[in-house]
Amino acid sequence: MAAPLELSCWGGGWGLPSVHSDSLVVMAYAKFSGAPLKVNVIDNTWRGSRGDVPVLTTEDNTISQPAKILNFLRKQKYNADYELSAKQGADTLAYIALLEEKLLPAVLHTFWVESDNYFTVTKPWFASRMPFPLSLILPGRMSKGALTRILLTRGEPPLYHLREVEAQIYRDAKECLNLLSNRLGTSQFFFGDMPSTLDAYVFGFLAPLYKVRFPKVQLQEHLKQLSNLCRFCDDILNSYFRVSLGAFSCVNRNEQQIDFGEVHSHDSTTCKLIAPDWRYSK
Amino acid sequence: MCLLIWLVIDIFLPCVPVSTAAEPWPENATLYQQLKGEQILLSDNAASLAVQAFLQMCNLPIKVVCRANAEYMSPSGKVPFIHVGNQVVSELGPIVQFVKAKGHSLSDGLDEVQKAEMKAYMELVNNMLLTAELYLQWCDDATVGEITHARYGSPYPWPLNHILAYQKQWEVKRKMKAIGWGNKTLDQVLEDVDQCCQALSQRLGTQPYFFNKQPTELDALVFGHLYTILTTQMTNDELSEKVKNYSNLLAFCRRIEQHYFGKGSSSIRLS
Repeated sequence: MAAPLELSCWGGGWGLPSVHSDSLVVMAYAKFSGAPLKVNVIDNTWRGSRGDVPVLTTEDNTISQPAKILNFLRKQKYNADYELSAKQGADTLAYIALLEEKLLPAVLHTFWVESDNYFTVTKPWFASRMPFPLSLILPGRMSKGALTRILLTRGEPPLYHLREVEAQIYRDAKECLNLLSNRLGTSQFFFGDMPSTLDAYVFGFLAPLYKVRFPKVQLQEHLKQLSNLCRFCDDILNSYFRVSLGAFSCVNRNEQQIDFGEVHSHDSTTCKLIAPDWRYSK
Repeated sequence: MCLLIWLVIDIFLPCVPVSTAAEPWPENATLYQQLKGEQILLSDNAASLAVQAFLQMCNLPIKVVCRANAEYMSPSGKVPFIHVGNQVVSELGPIVQFVKAKGHSLSDGLDEVQKAEMKAYMELVNNMLLTAELYLQWCDDATVGEITHARYGSPYPWPLNHILAYQKQWEVKRKMKAIGWGNKTLDQVLEDVDQCCQALSQRLGTQPYFFNKQPTELDALVFGHLYTILTTQMTNDELSEKVKNYSNLLAFCRRIEQHYFGKGSSSIRLS
Protein backbone atom coordinates (compact mmCIF):
# COMPACT_ATOMS: atom_id res chain seq x y z
CA MET A 1 0.00 0.00 0.00
CA ALA A 2 1.22 3.50 -0.73
CA ALA A 3 1.99 6.08 1.89
CA PRO A 4 -0.98 6.60 4.19
CA LEU A 5 -3.61 9.10 3.20
CA GLU A 6 -4.40 11.48 5.99
CA LEU A 7 -7.73 13.14 6.30
CA SER A 8 -8.05 16.13 8.54
CA CYS A 9 -11.63 16.90 9.49
CA TRP A 10 -13.99 18.03 12.21
CA GLY A 11 -14.70 15.53 14.94
CA GLY A 12 -17.79 13.68 15.99
CA GLY A 13 -20.54 13.85 18.52
CA TRP A 14 -24.04 12.57 19.20
CA GLY A 15 -23.04 9.15 17.88
CA LEU A 16 -21.61 10.44 14.62
CA PRO A 17 -18.00 10.16 13.47
CA SER A 18 -18.21 13.80 12.37
CA VAL A 19 -20.82 16.52 12.71
CA HIS A 20 -19.59 18.35 9.62
CA SER A 21 -21.41 17.31 6.42
CA ASP A 22 -18.46 17.53 4.04
CA SER A 23 -16.16 15.62 6.39
CA LEU A 24 -18.81 12.96 6.85
CA VAL A 25 -19.25 12.54 3.09
CA VAL A 26 -15.54 11.84 2.66
CA MET A 27 -15.36 9.51 5.65
CA ALA A 28 -18.39 7.53 4.44
CA TYR A 29 -17.01 7.25 0.90
CA ALA A 30 -13.68 6.03 2.26
CA LYS A 31 -15.47 3.33 4.21
CA PHE A 32 -17.56 2.28 1.22
CA SER A 33 -14.63 2.09 -1.15
CA GLY A 34 -12.21 0.55 1.33
CA ALA A 35 -9.74 3.42 1.16
CA PRO A 36 -7.32 3.34 4.10
CA LEU A 37 -7.60 6.79 5.63
CA LYS A 38 -5.89 8.02 8.72
CA VAL A 39 -8.39 10.36 10.27
CA ASN A 40 -6.96 13.34 12.14
CA VAL A 41 -9.66 15.08 14.09
CA ILE A 42 -9.18 18.82 14.41
CA ASP A 43 -8.53 19.80 17.97
CA ASN A 44 -7.83 22.97 19.84
CA THR A 45 -4.10 22.94 19.44
CA TRP A 46 -2.56 25.05 16.72
CA ARG A 47 -1.76 22.02 14.61
CA GLY A 48 -3.25 21.97 11.16
CA SER A 49 -5.35 24.54 9.38
CA ARG A 50 -9.05 25.00 9.74
CA GLY A 51 -9.92 26.52 6.44
CA ASP A 52 -11.35 24.36 3.69
CA VAL A 53 -11.90 21.34 5.91
CA PRO A 54 -11.93 18.39 5.06
CA VAL A 55 -8.42 18.18 3.68
CA LEU A 56 -6.75 15.07 2.35
CA THR A 57 -2.98 15.02 2.65
CA THR A 58 -0.98 12.63 0.53
CA GLU A 59 2.75 12.38 0.00
CA ASP A 60 2.73 14.84 -2.87
CA ASN A 61 -0.14 17.22 -2.38
CA THR A 62 -3.14 18.34 -0.39
CA ILE A 63 -6.68 18.21 -1.70
CA SER A 64 -9.68 19.98 -0.30
CA GLN A 65 -13.41 19.91 -1.14
CA PRO A 66 -15.28 16.60 -1.07
CA ALA A 67 -15.80 16.37 -4.85
CA LYS A 68 -12.07 16.69 -5.53
CA ILE A 69 -11.14 14.29 -2.73
CA LEU A 70 -13.56 11.67 -4.04
CA ASN A 71 -12.18 12.11 -7.56
CA PHE A 72 -8.68 11.57 -6.23
CA LEU A 73 -9.69 8.43 -4.35
CA ARG A 74 -11.33 7.09 -7.49
CA LYS A 75 -8.14 7.65 -9.45
CA GLN A 76 -6.28 5.70 -6.76
CA LYS A 77 -8.60 2.80 -7.57
CA TYR A 78 -10.81 3.24 -4.51
CA ASN A 79 -14.01 3.35 -6.47
CA ALA A 80 -17.37 2.72 -4.84
CA ASP A 81 -19.20 3.18 -8.14
CA TYR A 82 -17.68 0.56 -10.42
CA GLU A 83 -20.81 -1.54 -10.39
CA LEU A 84 -23.07 1.31 -11.43
CA SER A 85 -24.39 1.62 -14.96
CA ALA A 86 -23.83 4.78 -16.99
CA LYS A 87 -27.37 5.98 -16.29
CA GLN A 88 -26.92 5.40 -12.55
CA GLY A 89 -23.71 7.42 -12.67
CA ALA A 90 -25.63 10.24 -14.35
CA ASP A 91 -28.39 9.97 -11.74
CA THR A 92 -25.74 10.28 -9.02
CA LEU A 93 -24.60 13.65 -10.39
CA ALA A 94 -28.17 14.85 -10.69
CA TYR A 95 -29.15 13.87 -7.15
CA ILE A 96 -26.01 15.43 -5.71
CA ALA A 97 -26.97 18.67 -7.50
CA LEU A 98 -30.45 18.37 -5.99
CA LEU A 99 -28.98 17.95 -2.51
CA GLU A 100 -26.72 20.97 -2.91
CA GLU A 101 -29.40 23.24 -4.30
CA LYS A 102 -32.42 22.25 -2.24
CA LEU A 103 -31.25 20.67 1.00
CA LEU A 104 -27.96 22.38 1.75
CA PRO A 105 -29.38 25.92 2.31
CA ALA A 106 -31.77 24.62 4.96
CA VAL A 107 -29.07 22.51 6.65
CA LEU A 108 -26.76 25.53 6.73
CA HIS A 109 -29.59 27.60 8.14
CA THR A 110 -30.39 25.04 10.86
CA PHE A 111 -26.76 24.80 11.96
CA TRP A 112 -25.35 28.28 11.44
CA VAL A 113 -28.04 30.90 11.01
CA GLU A 114 -30.97 29.98 13.26
CA SER A 115 -29.88 31.87 16.39
CA ASP A 116 -31.14 29.44 19.03
CA ASN A 117 -29.35 26.54 17.38
CA TYR A 118 -26.20 28.48 16.58
CA PHE A 119 -25.64 29.99 20.03
CA THR A 120 -26.58 26.94 22.11
CA VAL A 121 -25.16 24.10 20.04
CA THR A 122 -23.05 24.91 16.98
CA LYS A 123 -20.90 27.75 18.25
CA PRO A 124 -19.88 26.13 21.56
CA TRP A 125 -19.11 22.85 19.83
CA PHE A 126 -16.87 24.38 17.16
CA ALA A 127 -15.33 26.90 19.54
CA SER A 128 -14.24 24.10 21.87
CA ARG A 129 -12.25 22.65 19.02
CA MET A 130 -10.37 25.81 18.19
CA PRO A 131 -7.54 27.38 20.11
CA PHE A 132 -8.05 30.76 21.69
CA PRO A 133 -8.36 33.39 20.18
CA LEU A 134 -9.46 31.63 16.98
CA SER A 135 -12.46 30.29 18.90
CA LEU A 136 -13.76 33.83 19.18
CA ILE A 137 -13.44 34.67 15.50
CA LEU A 138 -13.80 31.59 13.34
CA PRO A 139 -17.30 30.37 14.31
CA GLY A 140 -18.66 33.84 13.58
CA ARG A 141 -16.94 33.83 10.23
CA MET A 142 -18.33 30.39 9.37
CA SER A 143 -21.80 31.59 10.33
CA LYS A 144 -21.47 34.68 8.17
CA GLY A 145 -20.26 32.53 5.29
CA ALA A 146 -23.31 30.28 5.59
CA LEU A 147 -25.68 33.26 5.66
CA THR A 148 -24.00 34.82 2.63
CA ARG A 149 -24.26 31.60 0.69
CA ILE A 150 -27.96 31.25 1.47
CA LEU A 151 -28.76 34.85 0.56
CA LEU A 152 -26.72 34.95 -2.63
CA THR A 153 -28.10 31.72 -4.01
CA ARG A 154 -31.70 32.01 -2.87
CA GLY A 155 -32.28 35.62 -2.02
CA GLU A 156 -33.42 38.14 -4.54
CA PRO A 157 -31.77 41.43 -5.25
CA PRO A 158 -31.91 44.19 -4.20
CA LEU A 159 -33.12 43.44 -0.70
CA TYR A 160 -31.47 40.08 0.05
CA HIS A 161 -33.68 39.66 3.09
CA LEU A 162 -33.39 36.47 5.08
CA ARG A 163 -37.01 36.42 6.19
CA GLU A 164 -38.22 36.21 2.61
CA VAL A 165 -36.17 33.15 1.84
CA GLU A 166 -36.45 31.26 5.12
CA ALA A 167 -39.88 29.85 4.42
CA GLN A 168 -38.92 28.99 0.85
CA ILE A 169 -35.70 27.15 1.75
CA TYR A 170 -37.40 25.03 4.38
CA ARG A 171 -40.20 24.22 1.95
CA ASP A 172 -37.64 23.19 -0.67
CA ALA A 173 -35.69 21.12 1.87
CA LYS A 174 -38.80 19.23 2.98
CA GLU A 175 -39.68 18.56 -0.65
CA CYS A 176 -36.15 17.34 -1.28
CA LEU A 177 -36.35 14.98 1.71
CA ASN A 178 -39.66 13.62 0.39
CA LEU A 179 -38.10 13.09 -3.05
CA LEU A 180 -35.14 11.24 -1.52
CA SER A 181 -37.45 9.08 0.54
CA ASN A 182 -39.52 8.23 -2.56
CA ARG A 183 -36.38 7.39 -4.50
CA LEU A 184 -34.94 5.20 -1.74
CA GLY A 185 -38.16 3.29 -1.18
CA THR A 186 -37.49 0.06 0.65
CA SER A 187 -33.99 -0.64 -0.73
CA GLN A 188 -31.02 -0.67 1.52
CA PHE A 189 -29.01 1.78 -0.57
CA PHE A 190 -29.88 4.05 -3.47
CA PHE A 191 -28.48 1.74 -6.14
CA GLY A 192 -29.10 -1.80 -4.96
CA ASP A 193 -27.18 -3.60 -2.24
CA MET A 194 -23.84 -1.85 -2.29
CA PRO A 195 -23.33 1.72 -1.13
CA SER A 196 -22.01 4.24 -3.66
CA THR A 197 -21.07 7.90 -3.94
CA LEU A 198 -24.70 9.03 -3.75
CA ASP A 199 -25.18 7.12 -0.50
CA ALA A 200 -22.11 8.86 0.92
CA TYR A 201 -23.47 12.29 0.00
CA VAL A 202 -26.98 11.60 1.30
CA PHE A 203 -25.56 10.18 4.52
CA GLY A 204 -23.23 13.15 4.92
CA PHE A 205 -26.06 15.66 4.58
CA LEU A 206 -28.73 13.77 6.52
CA ALA A 207 -26.88 12.22 9.45
CA PRO A 208 -25.95 15.49 11.24
CA LEU A 209 -29.49 16.74 10.72
CA TYR A 210 -30.82 13.50 12.13
CA LYS A 211 -28.62 13.08 15.17
CA VAL A 212 -27.53 16.47 16.48
CA ARG A 213 -29.87 17.73 19.18
CA PHE A 214 -31.10 21.23 18.42
CA PRO A 215 -33.58 23.50 20.18
CA LYS A 216 -35.27 24.51 16.89
CA VAL A 217 -35.98 21.30 15.05
CA GLN A 218 -38.54 21.79 12.27
CA LEU A 219 -36.48 20.13 9.57
CA GLN A 220 -35.34 17.40 11.94
CA GLU A 221 -38.95 16.61 12.84
CA HIS A 222 -39.79 16.28 9.16
CA LEU A 223 -36.81 13.98 8.59
CA LYS A 224 -37.79 11.78 11.52
CA GLN A 225 -41.15 11.17 9.89
CA LEU A 226 -39.42 9.65 6.86
CA SER A 227 -38.57 6.35 8.46
CA ASN A 228 -36.71 4.86 5.51
CA LEU A 229 -34.20 7.74 5.50
CA CYS A 230 -33.67 7.34 9.27
CA ARG A 231 -33.21 3.62 8.80
CA PHE A 232 -30.71 4.36 6.01
CA CYS A 233 -28.60 6.56 8.32
CA ASP A 234 -28.76 4.12 11.22
CA ASP A 235 -27.78 1.21 8.98
CA ILE A 236 -24.68 2.98 7.73
CA LEU A 237 -23.71 4.08 11.23
CA ASN A 238 -24.07 0.57 12.58
CA SER A 239 -22.37 -1.25 9.72
CA TYR A 240 -19.53 1.11 8.86
CA PHE A 241 -18.93 3.28 11.89
CA ARG A 242 -19.23 0.98 14.84
CA VAL A 243 -17.20 2.87 17.41
CA SER A 244 -16.42 1.78 20.93
CA LEU A 245 -16.21 5.20 22.52
CA GLY A 246 -15.77 5.93 26.16
CA ALA A 247 -17.48 8.88 27.81
CA PHE A 248 -17.18 12.13 25.89
CA SER A 249 -16.71 14.19 28.95
CA CYS A 250 -13.15 13.33 29.88
CA VAL A 251 -10.91 16.25 30.54
CA ASN A 252 -7.21 15.98 30.17
CA ARG A 253 -5.23 19.08 30.90
CA ASN A 254 -1.90 17.50 30.07
CA GLU A 255 -0.59 17.44 26.55
CA GLN A 256 -1.50 13.80 26.20
CA GLN A 257 -3.52 12.37 23.40
CA ILE A 258 -6.13 9.92 24.54
CA ASP A 259 -6.75 7.09 22.19
CA PHE A 260 -10.54 6.81 22.08
CA GLY A 261 -10.54 3.37 20.60
CA GLU A 262 -10.49 1.92 17.18
CA VAL A 263 -13.03 2.30 14.44
CA HIS A 264 -13.78 -1.10 13.01
CA SER A 265 -14.72 -1.09 9.38
CA HIS A 266 -16.62 -3.88 7.71
CA ASP A 267 -13.54 -5.34 6.11
CA SER A 268 -11.73 -5.37 9.46
CA THR A 269 -9.09 -2.78 8.66
CA THR A 270 -8.89 -0.38 11.51
CA CYS A 271 -8.10 3.27 11.67
CA LYS A 272 -7.47 4.99 14.93
CA LEU A 273 -9.50 7.95 16.00
CA ILE A 274 -7.04 10.13 17.84
CA ALA A 275 -9.00 12.19 20.31
CA PRO A 276 -7.97 15.72 21.02
CA ASP A 277 -6.91 17.17 24.29
CA TRP A 278 -10.32 18.20 25.57
CA ARG A 279 -10.31 21.58 27.11
CA TYR A 280 -13.73 23.05 27.60
CA SER A 281 -13.82 26.80 27.22
CA LYS A 282 -16.95 28.15 28.76
CA MET B 1 -46.22 52.20 9.21
CA CYS B 2 -47.07 52.06 5.49
CA LEU B 3 -43.73 50.45 4.87
CA LEU B 4 -44.54 47.81 7.49
CA ILE B 5 -47.88 47.02 5.86
CA TRP B 6 -46.26 46.87 2.46
CA LEU B 7 -43.59 44.49 3.76
CA VAL B 8 -46.18 42.28 5.42
CA ILE B 9 -48.24 42.10 2.23
CA ASP B 10 -45.14 41.43 0.20
CA ILE B 11 -44.22 38.50 2.40
CA PHE B 12 -47.61 36.90 2.82
CA LEU B 13 -49.27 37.53 -0.52
CA PRO B 14 -47.27 34.96 -2.49
CA CYS B 15 -48.37 32.32 0.02
CA VAL B 16 -52.06 33.07 -0.41
CA PRO B 17 -53.50 30.71 -2.99
CA VAL B 18 -54.97 32.74 -5.82
CA SER B 19 -57.64 31.04 -7.86
CA THR B 20 -56.06 31.49 -11.25
CA ALA B 21 -57.31 28.16 -12.47
CA ALA B 22 -60.67 29.69 -13.30
CA GLU B 23 -59.28 31.94 -16.01
CA PRO B 24 -58.22 30.37 -19.26
CA TRP B 25 -54.95 31.24 -20.93
CA PRO B 26 -55.43 34.61 -22.64
CA GLU B 27 -54.45 35.31 -26.22
CA ASN B 28 -52.31 38.29 -25.33
CA ALA B 29 -49.91 36.57 -22.94
CA THR B 30 -46.45 38.11 -23.33
CA LEU B 31 -42.93 37.07 -22.45
CA TYR B 32 -40.42 39.81 -21.71
CA GLN B 33 -36.69 39.49 -22.25
CA GLN B 34 -33.83 41.82 -23.04
CA LEU B 35 -33.11 43.08 -26.55
CA LYS B 36 -32.31 40.10 -28.67
CA GLY B 37 -29.77 41.45 -31.06
CA GLU B 38 -27.64 43.77 -28.96
CA GLN B 39 -28.19 43.23 -25.28
CA ILE B 40 -29.18 39.76 -24.17
CA LEU B 41 -26.48 37.51 -22.76
CA LEU B 42 -25.92 33.77 -23.03
CA SER B 43 -27.47 32.75 -19.70
CA ASP B 44 -30.54 34.97 -20.05
CA ASN B 45 -31.10 33.83 -23.61
CA ALA B 46 -30.94 30.21 -22.46
CA ALA B 47 -33.49 30.85 -19.70
CA SER B 48 -35.82 32.69 -22.07
CA LEU B 49 -35.61 29.97 -24.71
CA ALA B 50 -36.34 27.32 -22.08
CA VAL B 51 -39.55 29.10 -21.08
CA GLN B 52 -40.56 29.61 -24.71
CA ALA B 53 -39.94 25.91 -25.43
CA PHE B 54 -41.95 24.89 -22.38
CA LEU B 55 -44.93 27.04 -23.39
CA GLN B 56 -44.75 25.72 -26.95
CA MET B 57 -44.76 22.17 -25.62
CA CYS B 58 -47.87 22.99 -23.58
CA ASN B 59 -49.45 24.52 -26.71
CA LEU B 60 -49.91 27.87 -25.05
CA PRO B 61 -49.50 30.91 -27.28
CA ILE B 62 -47.04 33.54 -26.13
CA LYS B 63 -45.72 36.74 -27.69
CA VAL B 64 -42.08 37.58 -27.11
CA VAL B 65 -41.43 41.25 -26.38
CA CYS B 66 -37.93 42.68 -26.04
CA ARG B 67 -37.33 45.50 -23.58
CA ALA B 68 -34.02 46.94 -22.48
CA ASN B 69 -35.11 47.11 -18.84
CA ALA B 70 -36.68 43.64 -18.68
CA GLU B 71 -34.38 42.68 -15.80
CA TYR B 72 -35.68 45.56 -13.69
CA MET B 73 -39.30 44.98 -14.61
CA SER B 74 -39.13 41.40 -13.42
CA PRO B 75 -40.51 40.74 -9.92
CA SER B 76 -37.50 38.62 -8.97
CA GLY B 77 -34.85 40.48 -10.94
CA LYS B 78 -34.37 37.58 -13.32
CA VAL B 79 -35.48 37.16 -16.89
CA PRO B 80 -37.58 36.00 -18.55
CA PHE B 81 -40.92 36.81 -17.04
CA ILE B 82 -44.39 36.36 -18.43
CA HIS B 83 -47.34 38.69 -18.18
CA VAL B 84 -50.57 36.69 -18.24
CA GLY B 85 -53.85 38.43 -17.49
CA ASN B 86 -52.98 40.44 -14.41
CA GLN B 87 -50.25 38.10 -13.16
CA VAL B 88 -46.52 38.50 -13.59
CA VAL B 89 -44.40 35.40 -13.04
CA SER B 90 -40.66 35.04 -13.60
CA GLU B 91 -38.26 32.12 -14.02
CA LEU B 92 -39.01 28.64 -15.27
CA GLY B 93 -39.80 27.02 -11.89
CA PRO B 94 -42.55 29.42 -10.85
CA ILE B 95 -43.87 29.58 -14.45
CA VAL B 96 -44.24 25.78 -14.50
CA GLN B 97 -46.20 25.98 -11.21
CA PHE B 98 -48.33 28.82 -12.56
CA VAL B 99 -49.14 26.96 -15.76
CA LYS B 100 -49.96 23.86 -13.72
CA ALA B 101 -52.44 25.89 -11.65
CA LYS B 102 -54.11 26.81 -14.94
CA GLY B 103 -54.55 23.13 -15.70
CA HIS B 104 -51.68 22.48 -18.12
CA SER B 105 -48.89 20.17 -17.13
CA LEU B 106 -46.27 18.14 -18.95
CA SER B 107 -45.22 15.96 -16.05
CA ASP B 108 -48.56 14.60 -14.83
CA GLY B 109 -47.91 11.25 -16.43
CA LEU B 110 -44.74 10.65 -14.43
CA ASP B 111 -44.68 8.57 -11.27
CA GLU B 112 -43.08 9.78 -8.03
CA VAL B 113 -39.63 8.35 -8.73
CA GLN B 114 -39.59 9.87 -12.22
CA LYS B 115 -40.67 13.24 -10.87
CA ALA B 116 -37.81 13.10 -8.36
CA GLU B 117 -35.41 12.29 -11.20
CA MET B 118 -36.76 15.11 -13.31
CA LYS B 119 -36.30 17.63 -10.51
CA ALA B 120 -32.82 16.29 -9.82
CA TYR B 121 -31.75 16.67 -13.46
CA MET B 122 -33.19 20.17 -13.62
CA GLU B 123 -31.08 21.07 -10.60
CA LEU B 124 -28.06 19.54 -12.31
CA VAL B 125 -28.57 21.80 -15.32
CA ASN B 126 -29.00 24.83 -13.08
CA ASN B 127 -26.09 23.89 -10.88
CA MET B 128 -23.58 23.15 -13.62
CA LEU B 129 -24.63 24.52 -17.01
CA LEU B 130 -26.15 27.79 -15.85
CA THR B 131 -23.32 28.47 -13.40
CA ALA B 132 -20.75 27.67 -16.11
CA GLU B 133 -22.48 30.11 -18.47
CA LEU B 134 -22.45 32.80 -15.80
CA TYR B 135 -18.79 32.07 -15.12
CA LEU B 136 -17.88 32.31 -18.76
CA GLN B 137 -19.78 35.54 -19.21
CA TRP B 138 -18.68 37.39 -16.13
CA CYS B 139 -15.50 35.82 -14.75
CA ASP B 140 -13.51 35.01 -17.92
CA ASP B 141 -11.62 38.19 -18.73
CA ALA B 142 -11.49 37.68 -22.48
CA THR B 143 -15.25 37.21 -22.79
CA VAL B 144 -16.02 40.01 -20.35
CA GLY B 145 -13.88 42.49 -22.21
CA GLU B 146 -14.95 41.60 -25.72
CA ILE B 147 -18.57 40.68 -25.38
CA THR B 148 -20.29 40.99 -22.02
CA HIS B 149 -19.54 44.54 -20.96
CA ALA B 150 -20.39 45.93 -24.35
CA ARG B 151 -23.62 44.00 -24.67
CA TYR B 152 -24.90 44.41 -21.12
CA GLY B 153 -24.62 48.17 -21.08
CA SER B 154 -25.49 48.80 -24.72
CA PRO B 155 -28.94 50.44 -24.25
CA TYR B 156 -27.62 52.94 -21.73
CA PRO B 157 -25.62 56.13 -22.17
CA TRP B 158 -22.14 56.63 -20.81
CA PRO B 159 -21.28 56.33 -17.89
CA LEU B 160 -24.32 54.29 -16.89
CA ASN B 161 -23.38 51.46 -19.23
CA HIS B 162 -20.04 50.93 -17.49
CA ILE B 163 -21.45 51.31 -13.97
CA LEU B 164 -24.24 48.79 -14.50
CA ALA B 165 -21.91 46.29 -16.13
CA TYR B 166 -19.36 46.52 -13.30
CA GLN B 167 -22.08 46.27 -10.68
CA LYS B 168 -23.49 43.13 -12.27
CA GLN B 169 -20.04 41.64 -12.60
CA TRP B 170 -19.34 42.28 -8.93
CA GLU B 171 -22.63 40.63 -7.96
CA VAL B 172 -21.95 37.55 -10.06
CA LYS B 173 -18.37 37.21 -8.79
CA ARG B 174 -19.63 37.41 -5.23
CA LYS B 175 -22.07 34.61 -5.91
CA MET B 176 -19.39 32.47 -7.56
CA LYS B 177 -17.18 32.89 -4.53
CA ALA B 178 -20.01 31.93 -2.16
CA ILE B 179 -20.69 28.66 -3.96
CA GLY B 180 -17.03 27.72 -4.28
CA TRP B 181 -16.52 28.52 -7.97
CA GLY B 182 -14.41 31.59 -7.26
CA ASN B 183 -11.12 29.77 -7.55
CA LYS B 184 -11.97 27.62 -10.52
CA THR B 185 -10.06 28.01 -13.75
CA LEU B 186 -11.76 28.05 -17.13
CA ASP B 187 -10.50 24.53 -17.82
CA GLN B 188 -12.07 23.20 -14.64
CA VAL B 189 -15.36 24.87 -15.55
CA LEU B 190 -15.25 23.30 -19.02
CA GLU B 191 -14.55 19.93 -17.35
CA ASP B 192 -17.69 20.38 -15.26
CA VAL B 193 -19.70 21.25 -18.38
CA ASP B 194 -18.39 18.10 -20.03
CA GLN B 195 -19.39 16.02 -17.02
CA CYS B 196 -22.85 17.54 -17.03
CA CYS B 197 -23.31 16.91 -20.77
CA GLN B 198 -22.09 13.35 -20.33
CA ALA B 199 -24.66 12.76 -17.59
CA LEU B 200 -27.43 14.28 -19.73
CA SER B 201 -26.34 12.25 -22.74
CA GLN B 202 -26.30 9.02 -20.75
CA ARG B 203 -29.70 9.75 -19.27
CA LEU B 204 -31.19 10.59 -22.68
CA GLY B 205 -29.71 7.51 -24.36
CA THR B 206 -31.55 6.75 -27.59
CA GLN B 207 -34.92 8.06 -26.47
CA PRO B 208 -36.52 11.04 -28.21
CA TYR B 209 -37.09 12.87 -24.92
CA PHE B 210 -35.82 12.40 -21.39
CA PHE B 211 -38.97 10.63 -20.27
CA ASN B 212 -39.46 8.68 -23.43
CA LYS B 213 -42.27 9.75 -25.70
CA GLN B 214 -43.47 13.03 -24.20
CA PRO B 215 -41.41 16.13 -23.51
CA THR B 216 -41.39 17.60 -20.02
CA GLU B 217 -40.05 20.79 -18.48
CA LEU B 218 -36.67 19.08 -18.22
CA ASP B 219 -36.53 18.77 -22.01
CA ALA B 220 -37.44 22.45 -22.33
CA LEU B 221 -34.70 23.48 -19.90
CA VAL B 222 -32.01 21.31 -21.48
CA PHE B 223 -33.00 22.48 -24.94
CA GLY B 224 -32.87 26.14 -23.89
CA HIS B 225 -29.34 25.85 -22.55
CA LEU B 226 -27.82 23.53 -25.14
CA TYR B 227 -29.33 25.30 -28.15
CA THR B 228 -28.12 28.66 -26.90
CA ILE B 229 -24.63 27.32 -26.28
CA LEU B 230 -24.52 25.77 -29.74
CA THR B 231 -25.74 28.81 -31.62
CA THR B 232 -24.11 31.70 -29.77
CA GLN B 233 -20.86 33.16 -30.99
CA MET B 234 -18.38 33.40 -28.11
CA THR B 235 -14.70 34.42 -28.02
CA ASN B 236 -13.75 30.78 -28.20
CA ASP B 237 -15.77 27.78 -29.19
CA GLU B 238 -14.71 25.50 -26.40
CA LEU B 239 -18.08 25.52 -24.67
CA SER B 240 -20.01 24.51 -27.78
CA GLU B 241 -17.33 21.96 -28.67
CA LYS B 242 -17.99 20.22 -25.36
CA VAL B 243 -21.67 19.88 -26.24
CA LYS B 244 -20.96 18.81 -29.83
CA ASN B 245 -19.14 15.75 -28.55
CA TYR B 246 -22.48 14.17 -27.74
CA SER B 247 -24.39 13.36 -30.89
CA ASN B 248 -27.63 12.36 -29.16
CA LEU B 249 -27.79 15.80 -27.52
CA LEU B 250 -27.34 17.46 -30.92
CA ALA B 251 -30.11 15.32 -32.40
CA PHE B 252 -32.29 16.16 -29.40
CA CYS B 253 -31.83 19.90 -29.96
CA ARG B 254 -32.54 19.62 -33.68
CA ARG B 255 -35.64 17.56 -33.02
CA ILE B 256 -37.15 20.10 -30.63
CA GLU B 257 -36.15 23.00 -32.84
CA GLN B 258 -37.90 21.51 -35.85
CA HIS B 259 -40.92 20.21 -34.00
CA TYR B 260 -41.72 23.15 -31.77
CA PHE B 261 -40.14 26.11 -33.45
CA GLY B 262 -41.18 25.07 -36.92
CA LYS B 263 -37.92 25.73 -38.69
CA GLY B 264 -37.38 23.84 -41.89
CA SER B 265 -33.64 23.55 -41.56
CA SER B 266 -31.75 23.61 -38.32
CA SER B 267 -29.59 26.57 -37.36
CA ILE B 268 -27.21 24.33 -35.48
CA ARG B 269 -23.98 24.24 -37.41
CA LEU B 270 -21.64 21.33 -37.05
CA SER B 271 -18.46 22.96 -38.40
